[in-house]
Amino acid sequence: MNVQSKIPTTAKEDKWIPSVCNICYGGCSMQAHRVDGTVIKIEGNPKSPIGGGKLCAKGLSGMMILYDPHRVNTPLRRTNPKKGMGVDPGWKPISWDEAMAEILPKLKKLHQEDPRQLVLQVTTTITPASLLFFAFGWAFGSPNMWVAGGGLHCGNGAHAAGGITHASWSVVPDFKHCNYALYFGASKGHGAGHAATPNITLAADARERGMRSVVVDPMCNPSAAKANEWVPIRVGTDAALALAMCNTLVNELDIVDREYLRDRTNAIYLVRPNGWHARDAQSGKPLVWDAAANQAVVYDAPGAKNAALEGTYQVNGEACRPSFDMMKEHLKKYSAEEGERISGIPAATIRRLSREFGEAARVGSTIVMDGHTLPYRPAAAIFFRGAQGHKNSMYNCFAIDLLNHIVGAADVVGGCLGFNPVCYGHPETKRPYYVPRKDKDGLMATGTWMLPHVPYPPADPRQPDSIGFIELFPLSHVSPLMASSDQKEWWSKFNLPYRPKILLNYGANSVMSVGNKEAASEALKEYEFIVSFDIFLNEFSDFADIILPDACYLEIFDPRPNFPMIFNHPAGPGEWGWPIRQPVSPLTHERKGARDVMLDIAYKLDLGPEINMAMNSYYNLDGPQMLDPKKTYTLPEVFDHELKHKFGPERGLEWFKEHGIITWPKKTEEVYWRTFLDVRIPIYHEYLMDLGERTGKLCAEGGMHFDPRYYGPLPEWLPCPSHEEKDASFDLYSFYYRDTIHVNGFTMENPWLDEIAQLDPFSYKIAINAETAKKKGLKDNDAVRLETPTGRHVEGRIKITEGIHPEGVGIAACAGHWTPHQPIAKGKGIFYNDLLEIDFEHTSPVNLNMDLCSKVRISRYEGPLG
Amino acid sequence: MRLGMVIDLKRCMACYGCQMSCKTEHGTPPGIFFARVLKREEGTYPSNRMIFLPVLCNHCEDAPCVDVCPTEASHYAEHGIVDIDHDKCVGCHSCMVACPYTNRYFRDEKQHYFGAAGPTPYEVARSDRHPEGVVMKCNFCRPRLAEGKLPACVDNCAALARTFGDLDDPNSAVSRLIKERGGFTLHPEAGTGPNVYYLAP
Repeated sequence: MNVQSKIPTTAKEDKWIPSVCNICYGGCSMQAHRVDGTVIKIEGNPKSPIGGGKLCAKGLSGMMILYDPHRVNTPLRRTNPKKGMGVDPGWKPISWDEAMAEILPKLKKLHQEDPRQLVLQVTTTITPASLLFFAFGWAFGSPNMWVAGGGLHCGNGAHAAGGITHASWSVVPDFKHCNYALYFGASKGHGAGHAATPNITLAADARERGMRSVVVDPMCNPSAAKANEWVPIRVGTDAALALAMCNTLVNELDIVDREYLRDRTNAIYLVRPNGWHARDAQSGKPLVWDAAANQAVVYDAPGAKNAALEGTYQVNGEACRPSFDMMKEHLKKYSAEEGERISGIPAATIRRLSREFGEAARVGSTIVMDGHTLPYRPAAAIFFRGAQGHKNSMYNCFAIDLLNHIVGAADVVGGCLGFNPVCYGHPETKRPYYVPRKDKDGLMATGTWMLPHVPYPPADPRQPDSIGFIELFPLSHVSPLMASSDQKEWWSKFNLPYRPKILLNYGANSVMSVGNKEAASEALKEYEFIVSFDIFLNEFSDFADIILPDACYLEIFDPRPNFPMIFNHPAGPGEWGWPIRQPVSPLTHERKGARDVMLDIAYKLDLGPEINMAMNSYYNLDGPQMLDPKKTYTLPEVFDHELKHKFGPERGLEWFKEHGIITWPKKTEEVYWRTFLDVRIPIYHEYLMDLGERTGKLCAEGGMHFDPRYYGPLPEWLPCPSHEEKDASFDLYSFYYRDTIHVNGFTMENPWLDEIAQLDPFSYKIAINAETAKKKGLKDNDAVRLETPTGRHVEGRIKITEGIHPEGVGIAACAGHWTPHQPIAKGKGIFYNDLLEIDFEHTSPVNLNMDLCSKVRISRYEGPLG
Repeated sequence: MRLGMVIDLKRCMACYGCQMSCKTEHGTPPGIFFARVLKREEGTYPSNRMIFLPVLCNHCEDAPCVDVCPTEASHYAEHGIVDIDHDKCVGCHSCMVACPYTNRYFRDEKQHYFGAAGPTPYEVARSDRHPEGVVMKCNFCRPRLAEGKLPACVDNCAALARTFGDLDDPNSAVSRLIKERGGFTLHPEAGTGPNVYYLAP
């Protein structure tokens, strides 16, 4: 027998430690097997609904991050004052005392001068650990905090739309009951993103049960590969398809859930000829037309039960029409033929998909769940990174989601579900507790959110105070202006009264994670002082002054790795799970956890009351568990307060260290909450008109071009700059997609993941359609250059495939590292982001999403690769 | 009892969890995977499709690797498991040539994932105990089976695509799946009688 597989029986220590993975932000529950001090295996935690004992390949590979010999072991200070890409900083190891002696006075001085000059930068990968890092920014008094790349790529549109219409960060089909799932560029259930592992199980169950899945995507890997039907689409035209489908449903097939639209949306709100809602003179509430009484009444009057969805009605001497009527007419310009012209998908296919989706939704049917008779709409249209990663991101998401609302398939059995937007808490403590509520117009505001500013109701646009201008664009949550090529121009035009001077970075590599490296680097060069917490030196490190050796996710505590549950907790029926992350291996060398260090810095800067109150706010701590502003705490002490606050005094950090997780059953009222709550969602976005007017005025004052088309009340298809490229030699749309084996730009240094990626036919290649390659005389594995109209270029080898749209070239993840400090990652794969412009022309003027598609031409490349 | 596995290609989405769980269970050295996932395309655009195919040793009933082994290192262990006795293996490669599925690996010399930087503590604990100059492959996780556990790739599969059990028992889950869903083996023309079955995507 091959005895080498056996664990030695002489071990002095042999224990399993429950914790939470953080190789991606999915946060699946794990357990580590530690034998005589060495972690020899990571597995899923079978006690947790967040993975159920399973992990993806990335999650299993954590030891190769923990034990990577190239990790940063001590604080480092640069000896070369010259900063530049590829310029060796001449790192010299220093002690923590030396590092702090340099950092503290600089921060103190900056705080006295103007705290807004501090910028905090984090990475999406370690969300939500990074959100606690932001508490330092709140305490310090800076508005300048950002997830470098995060929202610009994955979520300024998807998360805003998810928040406005599903009270959640993202959406997913109700895998347990859905019969027809329509994916628009989404990887839910295919090994990446929110609730990555649980969704693999749920999606596989759904496939076996017979759920039909149709995947709209320029590429057939991996989600389209598992679909019943792949619908290849021209890159970035998702809204055109979705709107043509909406039109077919409403104006051709008349498959409409009128009861849902009347009771759960603002479809009945009357619209005046000027596009604004007709409102009650006294209360200001939107009016609806009570068809029984033949008069206008406020939306929450009893007569709203009889409200008209169609027709024209005289209100205050004006001809007003219900929002649904406006939408119905608006959609007429998106015929199936128009959808075909823009998206390249045949009109007959658009009509067929519309009928299939509409019929699958079974409008009018009900189902009894847990004693409640609920709407049963087993069809869902979902969107994520693919559809949302464009300049037209906001409308793409609204247009796709409108399909759900037309047939009433939103947050009901079988339909499109938000990730857990309602939670009534653990049965014993009633915590955590969050429920969406209605605003003055009856429209839904989320019950919880990832960040302080919620998508609806949007904040008032105002003169920017932050360097990213998010005050001017309240629907955004991350801004490319933090690293754009035109940032200085805008700061100056908008009279920003300060400039950023010090950057504190927590694990982000913004040279690669935002867009092209030149723009990002120029922005970094301007800082007087950069401190970066890292586990590896990377391309960003070339611009840092001091590197601090961070702990990795297997060496830290986190009391709420899956909260808020709208982020990465599996949706749909089942159990709630609240695990903690805890060290499975002690810290070695001179490494320290970044958040512990930041707490210590806050106390040393005499910001104790501020940081304690910021943490009280972040963790919603009150009563006996509220942190005393006058005391100093360690992070484990803070985490103990947080856990006792949520689950009772007997369940503090010690309890969780032993048990790893607490679980309790979900209620039907939580999962299928739409029927139980008195909130409406907008299908007519009047608030966008209001935002547009006010933002437009402020933009005009600053001399910033403002495109009002993005602020209309009904979704449109708007072209990206790549769709308007005039030079016909740039004939391919390049895009990147989420790989199953890699996470952002972080995992290429992991040799196990790198090894599998090398074996995968696509991970490190440029995918190109076989016929297109043939026309261009290209053969499989040829080295090529992709070049944009602005002269940006990347090089790599091609993978010829039938599984990609003829006009597309697809690249996985954010690879192509060049730092010598990550020798496994170096030279592997393609740095797609280097093709992307970072400026306002390539940014959505409504949510600041970056345009992630780029028109390119392809040519054979003779130079060296990697 | 004849142990076998059924892999449901409809459920598998190629997350590579099996490939990695196998690696971490056995601490296999660089380049060696007892379990792998292959991706293959069929058809032409736009009616093409992508096939994800997880593979491992088929634990054949008439295993050519056992037949050709000159030292009886490759052998039938309990319940039809095909394993290699490393005390007997002389590294002659005959079995690798004989295996129609290319699921055997030769470990020529000690290698580590970070090369010159040396072995990680994990590799010291788990990988360095594998002998050199021998052939390695899947043994259905015999040490785990002895502890009453499932093979690592089965236990971890998030898509629940893998079912493990007794093919001789007509009422076992594996037997029923093969019967009800038309389970098939790879390269039946090789006549080796694989004990790993697949269900169509």
